Amino acid sequence: MIPELEIIKPFSLEEAVDFLNDHPAEARIIAGGTDIIPGLMQGSKRFTGIKYLVDLQQIDELKEIIADSENITIGALLTFSQMINNDSLKNNFPLLVKSASTVGSVQIRNRATVAGNFINNAPCADSVPPLLVYNAKIKLLGVNGNYEMPLSDFLIKPYFTRLKTGEIVTQIILPKPKKEFIGDFYKLGRRRGVAISRITLAALIQIEDNKLGEIRLASGAVSPIGMRFFDLEQKYSGSVISDKLLKNISSDLGKEILKVTGLRWSSEYKVPVTQQAMYLLLERICSAHKQVK
Amino acid sequence: MNDSFSIVGKKVFRQDAYAKVTGQAKFADDINFPGQLFAVMVRIASAHAKIKSIDYSEVINDSRLIKIIDHSNIPGNKLVGPIRNDQPIFCFDKVVTPGDVICMLIGENVDDLNKLKRKVKIDFEELPVLNDPLKSLEENSPLIHPEFENNLIIHYPLRKGNIEKGFADSDYIIEQTYRTAFVEHAYIEPEAVIAIPQETPNSVKIVGSIQNPFTCRKVVASVLNYPLANVRVIQAELGGSFGGKDDTMNILSARAAIGAMITGRPVKIKYTREESILESYKRHPYILNYKVGAKADGKITAMKIDIIADGGAYSSMSPFVTWRSVVQATGPYEIENVQTDVRAVYTNNPYTGAMRGFGSPQPIFAVESIMDELAIKLNITPDEIRRRNCFTSGSFTASGQKLEKHDVNLIKVLDTAVQKSGFKEKWIKYHSLQEFKSLEHKNLSFNDADSLILKEQDYLNNQNYLRKGIGLAVSYRGCSLGAEGIDAAAAYLSLQNDGSLFLLCGLSENGQGLRTTLSIVAAEVLGLTLDKIIYLDQDTSLIPDSGPTVASRATLMGGGAVKNAAVEIRNRLEKLLVDEWNLAGDAVFTFANDKVKYFGGGAKEISFNELCALAYKKGISLSAMGWYKGPDVHWNEETGQGSAYFTYVYGCQVAEVTLNMATGEVFIDNLIAVHNPGRVINLLGAEGQVYGGVTQGAGYALWEEINSEKGFIKELNFDQYLIPTAKDVGKIKPYFIEGRDIYGPWGAKSLGEPTLELTAAAIANAVRNAAGKRFFNLPLNLEEIFLGKKLKAESLNRGSA
Repeated sequence: MIPELEIIKPFSLEEAVDFLNDHPAEARIIAGGTDIIPGLMQGSKRFTGIKYLVDLQQIDELKEIIADSENITIGALLTFSQMINNDSLKNNFPLLVKSASTVGSVQIRNRATVAGNFINNAPCADSVPPLLVYNAKIKLLGVNGNYEMPLSDFLIKPYFTRLKTGEIVTQIILPKPKKEFIGDFYKLGRRRGVAISRITLAALIQIEDNKLGEIRLASGAVSPIGMRFFDLEQKYSGSVISDKLLKNISSDLGKEILKVTGLRWSSEYKVPVTQQAMYLLLERICSAHKQVK
Repeated sequence: MNDSFSIVGKKVFRQDAYAKVTGQAKFADDINFPGQLFAVMVRIASAHAKIKSIDYSEVINDSRLIKIIDHSNIPGNKLVGPIRNDQPIFCFDKVVTPGDVICMLIGENVDDLNKLKRKVKIDFEELPVLNDPLKSLEENSPLIHPEFENNLIIHYPLRKGNIEKGFADSDYIIEQTYRTAFVEHAYIEPEAVIAIPQETPNSVKIVGSIQNPFTCRKVVASVLNYPLANVRVIQAELGGSFGGKDDTMNILSARAAIGAMITGRPVKIKYTREESILESYKRHPYILNYKVGAKADGKITAMKIDIIADGGAYSSMSPFVTWRSVVQATGPYEIENVQTDVRAVYTNNPYTGAMRGFGSPQPIFAVESIMDELAIKLNITPDEIRRRNCFTSGSFTASGQKLEKHDVNLIKVLDTAVQKSGFKEKWIKYHSLQEFKSLEHKNLSFNDADSLILKEQDYLNNQNYLRKGIGLAVSYRGCSLGAEGIDAAAAYLSLQNDGSLFLLCGLSENGQGLRTTLSIVAAEVLGLTLDKIIYLDQDTSLIPDSGPTVASRATLMGGGAVKNAAVEIRNRLEKLLVDEWNLAGDAVFTFANDKVKYFGGGAKEISFNELCALAYKKGISLSAMGWYKGPDVHWNEETGQGSAYFTYVYGCQVAEVTLNMATGEVFIDNLIAVHNPGRVINLLGAEGQVYGGVTQGAGYALWEEINSEKGFIKELNFDQYLIPTAKDVGKIKPYFIEGRDIYGPWGAKSLGEPTLELTAAAIANAVRNAAGKRFFNLPLNLEEIFLGKKLKAESLNRGSA
């Protein structure tokens, strides 16, 4: 059952920050509510002691999309549906938009926000691996003003981030990748609609001639949280592309994941399938690159 | 399709569709009464325990509590059940599964009551828990219900011919074991009921999401120790049932009724999804051992079947469910020598009962799988092995019943499906591929994580990781209750003197579209347009007991009753016109489009409303009660021989799938469903049955499974219990082959269950065709395909499913 709560609707970021700081233990931000409402219904320990929900929907600047030559900056309240329907995001960040289109159902995508996805930081957050391979940064507002942080630093462990009490994530800054980057996103769920992901993978690769330039790989659901594989990326950057190479990368990814997770009940299935899926993804990316050329 | 019908067989929109899609329809929880109280259930976290004491001292004086109700408040039967009275309304000596309820708290506010229920202190002693049905009948197994000598609920033997001789005569023998899972009905509306004390002393009204109001009335009356007439059950709009709102709802209604009679105020019980899945019964998991002997030409000489059904904690419908299994276990094949044993047993698992299909999807999965294995062994196509063995007119079933007095058109059904799908060519093409072995390469030792890392040669590439497969399954199904019980139904038609009509049947609208179907039957006979018909709410005090709305019997039995009533009224009106127009006694009239016409010497015509006004003026009764009774059937319990059902329907489904060998995913590209429902009354409703049944069958094939971990259910909501979405099943194409039948309205028989029962078998055969290997355990989920086994999370906590 949902406990009795007061809904606070601030009209400005300042007002919101003030309220959050005045009620540090009892106030929580609500954006789309697709995590917090079911969490409250289930009596989840993560949401106990809440007396105020601070609804940010009145603050229009959190819904803006601003593009310049370097970055596209999106407001933290942007929903997945809005993201799917934005041409500039579609053109510049296709992996992110693809992941957005796999989140939950139409109804969930109409409510849920991309910022809420990583602030909740569930292992299966679909948009996190694409955000990570795009080197997304986030902008936070606290009592001491604005500051920025790479998303990969912000995420700590399942359901924990560096968000401090009284702070609001206001924007997500997405640096536009250079033209030679090509990539893809993969999601495996138990079914095709309204599916919680069992494996997500994002790969963004710079391909020059027959060589791998910069490689960015990320996983979700199969790792404790959405994460990049920086060691692996470095190891294979500059390698000549071959079928064997793509298989080696995939097998190494399997090893990295086992290192992070240890053996879990699902490893017997997830670890081989992740490698297989990563190989298929890389093979597709490389052949798409050939076709473009 | 018979063109002489004016409305039967056409596409007709559901009468209740508008109210339902616009949210105006009132479901049980939408209905509230002044002064209404709520009741919440108190359970303990145990699958098998002796109750030592119950201490109410911490709640008894709380102002938020109005009354505590437990077994001591029950004036009548404390134990109920369709056959065996083994299920307590409130547990008093033991709990035998975690869904069990010990007492309930009544008050004004559900949230308050939920807080209070934690303060009821129940002292209990854990007993050994029995979860494996294969161990139920072992000597030292814990007794679930010690009042019975063992855990056997029922054993049905069936003996036909000489099984040893049949196998001795065979050239090939295949023996295999198949398993199916617990599944949940997943009706979208959780249980809700309100009991309202009536002004007449000792009488109560029940309004709820109740599938079978008459069964509910019987249970409530027995628990309250009231005459049947003192209990009035009214069905609210039902948000899905699929066989699931029977026992559970009867018990909930009884609890609410006790609460209402003791407090003197209306009492509502409404379940959350979690409570619904925890307490309600499931489909029986079966373990099915099949041994089949056949000649080199494919003719089956013998079939030996051994089935164990997990009845869970209570007997419920197990004796009826497993009886259908024993009748139909061989599939629609004429076999001279058959030996079948079906046993249902108790465990501490969730109890199992009625669910759409009712004991048929499990044996169909097994027999249709093994038929394909036989075809492969004999190097013939699956359609051909079936053609060589399947029922035709005059065939004898396993129970020795001669199939007659209806169209035994299985071959026509099969041929249509094969032709529409291009089955044969596709099956041969996909079958030629190599057995898919890479999935079995890991026999994991958890000490050796390196074995999870793929080697170069293990990888599948983008050209070879997908495969296609096609599979078919056939089935036959006995219509209605058969030798299970009395089979009769009533309908009441009342024409008004302006030509409008109200209609009520003793069978229920459970979301299947019965109101529209029965209105079409009345409209066809009386020549009315459907907008003239008002269908009344199901109410046990207004219409005779017509048995339960189950077994795909409502169109057949209810339709028969409506037709009889309509014909009786029409006969009276015709007689009136004969007198009015001075016609011969055998004059022929047409009733259509709200007009009645006579074409004999000198055509005559009268509008239907004028005719009704005339009849009213002449004092002719414009109402009638129709009764329809099925012919007698019989069954010998010792030999399993007899005329189990008075008529049968036949179906064939062909599934085409894509198998993703990299992940174990199966996608249903398309599914062709060919059914013989006798006669289609509402084409739109019939197609809807196919779409729904196939989708539900696809869920059974690929996703749905309730895991009982020591009796506890992990999948208590739809985040964990996965039913297919619209995105998960490709195109479904229904075809209807109508047959000639002497029963039901114009030969209309059954369709609801036939559409679901064979889908999983067809899908499993398509997966077999794609993979080149057989999977024996439903559901064929990712791990079953990829690893050849199920993987289970160690914890019951929620997480990624």
